[in-house]
Amino acid sequence: MSVMKVENLVRDYGDGKGVFDISFHVNHGEAFGFLGPNGAGKTTTIRHLMGFLKAKSGTCTMNGLDCWKERDQIQSELGYIPGEISFFDDMTGTGFLKFMTEYRGNRGDNCQKELLERFELNPKDKIKKMSKGMKQKLGIVAAFMHDPDILILDEPTSGLDPLMQNRFIDLIEEEKKQGKTILMSSHMFEEVERTCDRVGIIRKGKLVTVDSTAALRERHVRPYRVTLENETIAEAFSKDFGGVRDGRSVTVTAKQSLEEIFMDYYRGEKNDESGIV
Amino acid sequence: MMNLALYKREMKSSIRLLLIFAAVITLYIAMIISMYDPELVKILDHFVEAMPELMSSVGMKANAVNLLEFMVSYLYGFVLLIFPMIFCMLRGNSLVARYVEKGSMVSLIAAPIKRRTVAFTQMLVLVSGILFLGLYSTGLELICAAINFPGELEVIELFRLNGGLLCLHLFVGGICFLASCIFSDTRYSIGFGAGIPTVMYILQMLANVGGKAEKAKYFTFFTLFQPDSIIANESGAILSFVVLLIGAVVMYVLGIVVFSKKDLYI
Repeated sequence: MSVMKVENLVRDYGDGKGVFDISFHVNHGEAFGFLGPNGAGKTTTIRHLMGFLKAKSGTCTMNGLDCWKERDQIQSELGYIPGEISFFDDMTGTGFLKFMTEYRGNRGDNCQKELLERFELNPKDKIKKMSKGMKQKLGIVAAFMHDPDILILDEPTSGLDPLMQNRFIDLIEEEKKQGKTILMSSHMFEEVERTCDRVGIIRKGKLVTVDSTAALRERHVRPYRVTLENETIAEAFSKDFGGVRDGRSVTVTAKQSLEEIFMDYYRGEKNDESGIV
Repeated sequence: MMNLALYKREMKSSIRLLLIFAAVITLYIAMIISMYDPELVKILDHFVEAMPELMSSVGMKANAVNLLEFMVSYLYGFVLLIFPMIFCMLRGNSLVARYVEKGSMVSLIAAPIKRRTVAFTQMLVLVSGILFLGLYSTGLELICAAINFPGELEVIELFRLNGGLLCLHLFVGGICFLASCIFSDTRYSIGFGAGIPTVMYILQMLANVGGKAEKAKYFTFFTLFQPDSIIANESGAILSFVVLLIGAVVMYVLGIVVFSKKDLYI
């Protein structure tokens, strides 16, 4: 059952910018990765889903509700991390979280304490004085604290150190286990690879491909068969490189990372362009 | 229709500005009223009795100058017009357009709160500030007059006058709020929200000078606030109130509608 549905979405900003005829869906309990370079149209698509922009053509729906007309109903079950974090600078982090809870009608901030501990965030400072990473953490807490069913995360780990990125990935995995539906845009191929079931790659406003992370990976797996001097060395080799030993020979597979897969799609496009020029 | 948490937050942001303006207004009102001298008026009256032709040629009649008219000429041409107007300009801009430009509007919109509730709450914050300044200056005028010159002030006329002033400021607030809702760029929101009332005020000043420039009065809404005709309770004055109020309501409603329907690049 698809929770999020984007059908033939078009928004033309001119100069080839915008999104053009984008369609995809995200199923219940699924994490969907949305990959693309800067200016590819990730945020524009997300703004339509959030009800910030009205679809010029095509539709965006969530649980069958129109993302523009019924946005306030959708929002009650939604958590959102914006691509550019900008909160009320004059507030402290604590004040902001308190305000957001009250503003949303006091509907649960039950996860707040646990989230603050998980990300080692002390929100007592003025937001103005916070570092980018701290603001990002505050954004994560604000998006998850009311325990929403649907999560839209626009480059959620930007500004976080690797340790915190890992904690975030753990959080996403836990949320997924609870049956949450997640759309996550990212530049970070690793976090998408580790957390998302399916991936959509967007470039220049067009969806280049949508496929399962596993299928994408599989398509780009290269097996090598290596023959070693003796069985002892072969055993050690297979252990070190995660291969399968058969006598003196070991089969190892090199998985292209998503990044490389991603670059493949680009290279193709670049060649096309140079061909035209 | 309104969100209490947002209203409280925004009123807290308004307080400092309101206190500063209240202090400035206090200074002026206390000073001007204490400067009024009934003895001077009585002496003037004697002059009128002694040589009525001469005095009326310069426009003076016996008992023409009372406390309220004294206040009108020194407070209602500048101080009580300008300061609430600046409040409208500053708050009007920061209540909507600045949040949109800075992107912090995301926090307010990415929540199960209707956009029209957000805009309506922000409008209430602006109107509350305007009301506060209006009520505060009325109260202060009553107190200052009661201390310095008990029984001199025509209270009913003062209420009518300040009622008219309130309508004028609600109208100015409407311009600022509408500009703030239409434009996502504070350059334009300030340009129109603050620019239009300022230009109108300058036109009003020109018109006051008289002569050919008096025609300028047809191009400024400040003409709808005429203290003399309000005090004299002329029928045109009441009509002006109604026009200003209707204009204000239309602009507030339009602002809320525009904000609810517009695309937000946040």
